[in-house]
Amino acid sequence: MRKLPLTPHEVLFPGLVETSPPPPAYSYWKTVARQFRKNRLAVWSLRFIIILILVALLADFLANEKPILCKYEGKIYSPVFREYAVDLGLSQWPRELLNAEWNKLRYDWVIRPVIPYLPQNLDLLNEHGVSPLSHQVVKSIRWRHWLGTDELGRDVFAGMLHGTRIALSVGIVSMSLALLIGLLLGSLAGFFGDEGLQISRARLVLNLLLIFPAFFYSFGTRGYALHDALANSFSSFLLQLLFSCSLFGVFLAFGNGFVFVFKRIPYLRKKVKIPVDLLISRFIEIMVSIPTLFLIISVSAIVTKPSLFIVMGIIGLTGWTGIARFVRAELLRIRNLEYIEAARALGFREFRILVRHALPNALSPVLIALAFGLASAILTESLLSFLGIGVPAETITWGSMLSMARQTPTAWWLALFPGFAIFLTVTTYNLVGEGLTDALDPRGKK
Amino acid sequence: MLRYILKRVFIFIPTMLAISLITFFISVNAPGDPLDQILNKNAVGDGQAEDKLSSEKTYREARHTYGFDLPLFYFTLSNAAYPDTLYKIPDEVHRNTLERLSWKYGDWKEVSAWYRQIRLMEFTLLHISRTPANSSSLNDAQNAVYQLYNQFDDSKIRFFLSTLSVIKQDDCKIRGEAERSVVSLEGAYHSMLLHADPEKKYIPSIHWYGTSNQYHRWFSRFICGDFGISYQDQRPVSSSILDALPWTAGISLLSVLLAYLISIPVGVRAAVNKGKLSEKIGTTTLFVLYSLPNFWIATMLVIFLCGGDWLHVFPGPGAAPIPDDASWIYKIVHIAYRLILPLICWTYGSLAFISRQMRGGMLSIVRQDYIRTARAKGLDEHTVIWKHAFRNSLLPVITLFSEVFPLAVSGSVVLEHIFNIPGMGQLSYEALFSKNYPVIFSVLLITAFLTLSGNLVADIGYAIVDPRISFSKKKK
Repeated sequence: MRKLPLTPHEVLFPGLVETSPPPPAYSYWKTVARQFRKNRLAVWSLRFIIILILVALLADFLANEKPILCKYEGKIYSPVFREYAVDLGLSQWPRELLNAEWNKLRYDWVIRPVIPYLPQNLDLLNEHGVSPLSHQVVKSIRWRHWLGTDELGRDVFAGMLHGTRIALSVGIVSMSLALLIGLLLGSLAGFFGDEGLQISRARLVLNLLLIFPAFFYSFGTRGYALHDALANSFSSFLLQLLFSCSLFGVFLAFGNGFVFVFKRIPYLRKKVKIPVDLLISRFIEIMVSIPTLFLIISVSAIVTKPSLFIVMGIIGLTGWTGIARFVRAELLRIRNLEYIEAARALGFREFRILVRHALPNALSPVLIALAFGLASAILTESLLSFLGIGVPAETITWGSMLSMARQTPTAWWLALFPGFAIFLTVTTYNLVGEGLTDALDPRGKK
Repeated sequence: MLRYILKRVFIFIPTMLAISLITFFISVNAPGDPLDQILNKNAVGDGQAEDKLSSEKTYREARHTYGFDLPLFYFTLSNAAYPDTLYKIPDEVHRNTLERLSWKYGDWKEVSAWYRQIRLMEFTLLHISRTPANSSSLNDAQNAVYQLYNQFDDSKIRFFLSTLSVIKQDDCKIRGEAERSVVSLEGAYHSMLLHADPEKKYIPSIHWYGTSNQYHRWFSRFICGDFGISYQDQRPVSSSILDALPWTAGISLLSVLLAYLISIPVGVRAAVNKGKLSEKIGTTTLFVLYSLPNFWIATMLVIFLCGGDWLHVFPGPGAAPIPDDASWIYKIVHIAYRLILPLICWTYGSLAFISRQMRGGMLSIVRQDYIRTARAKGLDEHTVIWKHAFRNSLLPVITLFSEVFPLAVSGSVVLEHIFNIPGMGQLSYEALFSKNYPVIFSVLLITAFLTLSGNLVADIGYAIVDPRISFSKKKK
């Protein structure tokens, strides 16, 4: 910032001039945060979500068969940390610990996690669902199954803690995908409307003609490369997909370079309006009218190897409509505001106006859609694993634990605790969403 | 007005088409061969040449009756290396291998010649009479041939060819007839390699098939109400759906009705009594109800009220079926008794949702000036609330129908599963696990259709009641 030249008064009496303190910064986000903080329930929900995230991150330290720190045969180990290193390929297990039964080793001293079990550990002494209230065959109270065990003797508490990780990651991954699609389509529809996007006939025709060969060369001829990569591993598939997509983009960009040739013809030089809003709104309508659960059932019927990534993908691919609608509605309002007109008058390009000036102001309602979307993604995931659809059978999630209660009707603890976890998580996200709705509502600012 | 309705109906058609396309392409990519399930085909490979030929014939006939020998869609966009008649190959695995081979070598003539040679080899081996002496080498040779059908990798093809050429060199009992076939098989392979034209796959090609294709057949029949044949019991899908639909539709409609009947007065009460303790408790309860996952509540109800270690008040999902010869009063009473728990689970969510909306709508109406005017006129509170405010706040709640109805329909999967009700949800759930695709995709399409129609009806109803909606669109 350029400094103003000092006035003679300031030069003469530098200490005496009162520099007025800056006015209290009531920026938009500060106002929102203040409004949000008034809603005590929403604040507590947010705190609870932070705890959930911590639990998800630290699940290995909270419930694990491996000790956090131990001294074994004269050496000090930290098996939980060591496992991360081994998984990353940085370290290896010493031979005597390679296939160790961690709970049966004789340690010199040991610090164990709060729950000394992994969700998949079978406690053969406490099989067939032992109630948390009844007598358990355990060495000491340290080994007690606080929330009981399931049919195979797996600890419910450990499953709950590790299930947090799955529930949250499904929510986050699928909603990131939904956010990406929703922002893109919503901003296109809202900012350009039905009349905003005008391109010359030449470009329209050229692009319509180009899409097919671009698709053909980037995806069609690479079909087997993608197919084999998918059979190989998910990450290599993503890499190949990225390559295909960039090939597609390069092809289109290269083709668009030739647009000047077509523009020689006066007929093709004329501009046409593209009804972006109409097209995208119809698309949203189609997506909304497909019953998500049935769609997921159909897709998982054709997927031979169930995987959490596929569940995340489908939830993300179907869950963007809420975000897109919010962004669209906001941008429809914003694009008529004066500052956008000013930006246009300054000669900025449409794309820059959208990304730099319009979109940042449309983001706040997205938060609401995101909170509700996370809640419904977590609910959908638990519903799917409850039905045993799409989620691998060996993965222990809140939903799959709840479904075990159906097989053993006497095991009330299997129904109560995982279900309560689902309920609590979904409710807190909903409450945060409600709190955000109120905080962002201009009518609430009195 | 009419224009708005027509516009909405007009949009309905492409949406329905898009959904049908999505459904169709999911179903086409479904793994496994549907005909295997229909024909109960056993593993091929054993048996004599005649058996194999006759089983292939029945397979081809079944393929024709079910229309699987038609091209998939009106046109294909592929490359010049692919033959446009690939869809005629009956076996799915063979089809995929052939597709891949022609993609790799670019010469359909050579590829099909290679495939014909494999087939010849297979039949030559089948014609050789088995003796204890040649049995094991014959088995090896047959296995190699079956493997060759699925291979597109050069090194693997070479490996299995070398396994076969053992016949030539070895002093085994099956030389003679087989030897010539092996030589021509190798010849076909080398000719395929020689004439390879791998660049051909970079030339795009479009092929038009016209209306005799699987999608056209499937969708035109679907519109006429013929949903295909269930793979599992060979019944028409429409009859299974007709059996299941009354359950789902009945419970859903009943629950939506109940939800509206209860939630409207509850919502109005909550708005009128705003700020009182009873209202606060009620509103919190509604919120909790709204966010309770219904499958959790259903499971809990079953565990705590239907036997188990706790109460046994209601018959559980595994209760004995009602005998057919029972009197109708007995039947009705028992069905109603069994439906209490499912209905609760079906209803409470939408009940809470509608109540909350009703309360919100009513609250914003009560603040309006005309309500103050009505009070100022000296009208009694009852008239003000129920005659002036209520009518105007009812409007948005009615349109919630388009959101509540599909919820009630799709909520059926898990609740019907828990309570063992033979409705649409249970039907598609079972179809999923038995890979009975016609049922799954019919249910998907019907549900989408119902959802769309619900939206359409709600939109039109809204436009009729509130003319501002269609006008505002016109102005824009």
